[in-house]
Amino acid sequence: MAVLRPARPVPTPSMQTGAAGPGRATGFRRVRSHWPQYLAISPFYLLFSVFGLFPALFSLYLAFHRWDGLGEMQFVGLKNFQYLLGDGTFWLALRNTFIIWFLSTVPMLFVALAIAAMLNSTVRFTAFYRIAYFIPNITSLVAMAIFFGAVFSTNFGLVNVVLQAVHLPAVHWLTNPLGMKIVVATVTTWQWTGYNTIIYLAGLQAIPSEVYEAAKVDGAGPIQTFVRITIPLLRPIILFTVVVSTITGMQTFTEPQVLFGNNGTLTANTGGAGHGALTMVLYFYHQAFDNHDFGYGAAIAWAVFLVVMVFAAINWRLVQRRET
Amino acid sequence: MELSRRRAIHLGMLGTVGAMIGGTAACSTSTSGGSGGGTNSIDFWYWQDGLSEKVVDDAVKRFTSVSLKPQQIGGDFRQKLTTTMASGAFVPGITGIKGEDFASFTPQADRFVNLLDHGADKLAGQYLSWKWKKGMTKDGKLIGFPIDIGPTAHFYRRDIFAKAGLPTDPDKVGAQMSTWDDYFAAGVELKKAVPTAHMVSEAWSVYNVAVSAAPARYIDENEHFIGDQDHIHTAWNYAIKAIRLGLDAKVQSGSTDWNAGLANGSLPSQTGAAWGAADIQSGAKNTSGNWGVALSPGGSGNIGGSFLAITKECSKPDVAFEIISWILSPENQARGFTDSALFPSTPATYAMPALTAPDPFFGGQVTIQVLGQAAQKIPVQYESPNDQAVSAPYQNELTNVESNGKDPDAAWADAITEAKKIGQRLGVS
Repeated sequence: MAVLRPARPVPTPSMQTGAAGPGRATGFRRVRSHWPQYLAISPFYLLFSVFGLFPALFSLYLAFHRWDGLGEMQFVGLKNFQYLLGDGTFWLALRNTFIIWFLSTVPMLFVALAIAAMLNSTVRFTAFYRIAYFIPNITSLVAMAIFFGAVFSTNFGLVNVVLQAVHLPAVHWLTNPLGMKIVVATVTTWQWTGYNTIIYLAGLQAIPSEVYEAAKVDGAGPIQTFVRITIPLLRPIILFTVVVSTITGMQTFTEPQVLFGNNGTLTANTGGAGHGALTMVLYFYHQAFDNHDFGYGAAIAWAVFLVVMVFAAINWRLVQRRET
Repeated sequence: MELSRRRAIHLGMLGTVGAMIGGTAACSTSTSGGSGGGTNSIDFWYWQDGLSEKVVDDAVKRFTSVSLKPQQIGGDFRQKLTTTMASGAFVPGITGIKGEDFASFTPQADRFVNLLDHGADKLAGQYLSWKWKKGMTKDGKLIGFPIDIGPTAHFYRRDIFAKAGLPTDPDKVGAQMSTWDDYFAAGVELKKAVPTAHMVSEAWSVYNVAVSAAPARYIDENEHFIGDQDHIHTAWNYAIKAIRLGLDAKVQSGSTDWNAGLANGSLPSQTGAAWGAADIQSGAKNTSGNWGVALSPGGSGNIGGSFLAITKECSKPDVAFEIISWILSPENQARGFTDSALFPSTPATYAMPALTAPDPFFGGQVTIQVLGQAAQKIPVQYESPNDQAVSAPYQNELTNVESNGKDPDAAWADAITEAKKIGQRLGVS
């Protein structure tokens, strides 16, 4: 905190005198006297309001209309939301999203923590390992999806070749509903483990070495140290990664879209055989941009927003309770 | 058409990246054109391999009374066209419309020029009548001028069929497997002789081809739902039969397994549109010379095939019509076939040297003899703007039966319930 203090704006005379006058005049005068600063930060807010705020608000307006993107908008009231509640495909997509989120987040965070702990104790080639683990995160997802599609293909995929070599039956990874979710979760795990590893590693390095030395003096072994010292001290960081992976996991889109979106047979962006990998965001994309049903697509998008909000609230409550 | 999209996947999406770069480059040049291409210029949108590039270049040189500015638009063509038309700025004067998107543009027919007002009726005789009607709205305006078509056919491996004692000559294959039941019977024989071989790669390739040959689709001209009637149910039952007989390999077209199956002979038979031949050729290069093309079981249908349209923003619709009718004349459609594998919509082209040359991939067969015959037998189907949305549940339920072992009758009932529900929301009664 001490480092941050000088960066705060120094109180100016106008601010101090303004505190006594009427509020509106204060605000205006404050803006005027700091116009270079406001001008400097305005590009972000201008771009945000044009490309972020306006579309978000417009999608709320759209959710109460029927619109094919070209013709006239037709007000339909709550009909889109009413239909959504009875739409089995949406509930299926919600379920799929949760399953994929669970299948990817749990192994991803465990593996990331283990790798971070190992990286933290390596002496040689540390930079090399860090880069190596981070590379999947910046690799083109489309290229990865094609690669994984080939690895998991039924007759000639590497995974099934290995399974058959140990006399296990081959799995139809790309058409079986659970198999499809596992493939999507694998791609997500592959891509984001390195990212979480780096975050954990930063957290680990912030733990003072005195704590470890004290534990060593008290006779704690490596496992005990990890469970009793490392994990509790890393808790805020673990909670951060859980919240971030929840929010991104609820919005899984690209992986199923490129893996199952365009095989030339099925309607584009419906999540493959039997909607096995249809996620909520993919479903909204499909309704809006394949079926040209922008009103219903917007309604789904707002339902996704609600789900993420509820989840974020649950997470927040959990954090609050632990801290009191 | 869909061809380039899938080829892009095959090339590791490199194509898409290239197309995106191409697309943005094209956008930046369009700023000089302005709405509809300014007073004396016409912006002209199409996609890669949507027309022969050489023909388009010749059109630029030929029609000098206007300045024609062709642009290949990459990425999601429909999306970009819709957005541009909705914004009202930089709308192209001439644009391609993909076959699968065409029906969804018909409610916006007043945004396009009725080509019959510019003398299109004189040319009607040159084009396949069913394709011509497909470019029309319900009230008889012609807004889509025919580019290419996708007649369905049966592609098969001669060497594998010979092993199973099945005919190998295209005419004999077509005659022996003229119905789906006969086709499946041959499939049973094939499996007996070559146990690894499956006649059907996936149930969808039966269902989709059978629906394309039906007299109607899911919605009739009065916007009534007819997807629960016999013409759809029959197609559904054929697909189910293929699954029940164990003839279905459950391999999705375009996948790694599909390419491998074509090459190693475990998928010796494909039913689909003529443009699918390009996918077979790229997926199984080493089998060149072993393939044949026969008429599709259950009658010929059409899948895909695009249109050119003139927007209301076009500054010189008369000249624009001259341009598109020249680009899509029978002579130039022969060049479209050679340059971009576009199957001509003009029967006169079928007798031209570009099409009558024997195809070495198909063992020297003159494929147009079969495909040209198929092209003229295609039924006129009404395609509602909501057809695609309503058809999605059938596809989904069929894959449920195929990959998850769902009871076919329950799946059929669920597909109809879901399709009706979707239809109702979209105003289908």
